[in-house]
Amino acid sequence: MRAEEVKDIVMKMAGLALGALLLILLAACSSIDCPIQNTVYTVYKLRGADGGEAKLADTLHVLGRTAKGDTVLLNRGVGLASFNLPVSYSHEEDTLVFLRTDTVGRRAIDTVWVQKKDIPHFESVDCSAAFFHELTGVRCTHRGIDSIVINNRNVNYDPTTEHFHIYFKTAL
Amino acid sequence: MAGMSVQAQGFLKFERDTVPLFRGFSVMVDVVGPAQLLLSDRGQYEAALVANLHDQYFPTLEVGYGRANHDVDDVTKLSYKTQAPYFRLGVDVNVMKKKHTGNRVFVGLRYGFTSYKVDVAREPFEDPVWKWNTVFDVVGERCSQHWAEGVFGISTRVAGPLRLGWTVRYRMRLSHSDGLMGNTWYVPGFGLQDSSALGATFNVGVDI
Repeated sequence: MRAEEVKDIVMKMAGLALGALLLILLAACSSIDCPIQNTVYTVYKLRGADGGEAKLADTLHVLGRTAKGDTVLLNRGVGLASFNLPVSYSHEEDTLVFLRTDTVGRRAIDTVWVQKKDIPHFESVDCSAAFFHELTGVRCTHRGIDSIVINNRNVNYDPTTEHFHIYFKTAL
Repeated sequence: MAGMSVQAQGFLKFERDTVPLFRGFSVMVDVVGPAQLLLSDRGQYEAALVANLHDQYFPTLEVGYGRANHDVDDVTKLSYKTQAPYFRLGVDVNVMKKKHTGNRVFVGLRYGFTSYKVDVAREPFEDPVWKWNTVFDVVGERCSQHWAEGVFGISTRVAGPLRLGWTVRYRMRLSHSDGLMGNTWYVPGFGLQDSSALGATFNVGVDI
């Protein structure tokens, strides 16, 4: 057998063997790549009357009006400059109850309503279902809260976005 | 077609000989894609039409139909469905010193495109904090992707016109639209969604 023929056969056999190997490797390959930062919540940043950053000396509790009664979303926040609250996956309006208690025990209870559009968010079949949101409106009562405004409408995995600017009354 | 009369030889220039420029076509089908469909929840059927220019250049059109049907995931409870055609267009260059033996070692480039729709769903579930019943259901989300591929492969004529070969491919995403839902998973013709991916084909075909 000539060297040329031997080379030809070797090449053909190598081609077949490598092809089969590739097929097996491809069928075996898989990986899971979900984002590490995978919580979606709204950030409330406190602002003063001058528009600058502010801190709340009083104690703040926040409850959520859920389908199965009230649940605590923020417990005994003291000296807050900002706080985070979860958003419902797919309810058109979230109802929040803000309970503010000052240092001498006076209390003010406000209700906050947050309207939003819910956007299903998909990463991979290996990652849990999530929802992003577009904030469409916010309103509140005004016992301890002066006002709340939307600063950024888009609620997603980014924890640095200030979604709401909240202005508390200086005294109860 | 008349014989070649070229002035110079080299990697990208035709060899100086009397072999005609046009040497016919090959029709190839990939067996990796159907095997993936058989063994997993995604894969593709793919065929290629390859023109042979002087056993050196091989303009190639690849067309395929990709499909993914990931049934309800045990952990995330998500299901994912898509099916769509795709194409790739490109050229291979035979880098063997002796080009007219019927065997080829080649490198090449491809441009690929697909436009596809995706269904993603999850069984209704309870919002963990707010307790509302929640439905995650995306139907017919329109998506598309452009990508490029670098190809390395081997092809050999085994008996008569019968040809076998394999390729490995490095795929680079050029641009993509994933609709409102953020990402997709399986992209027909590309594989799992990422900025790049590796792929391979094992081709069986005939020279015509």
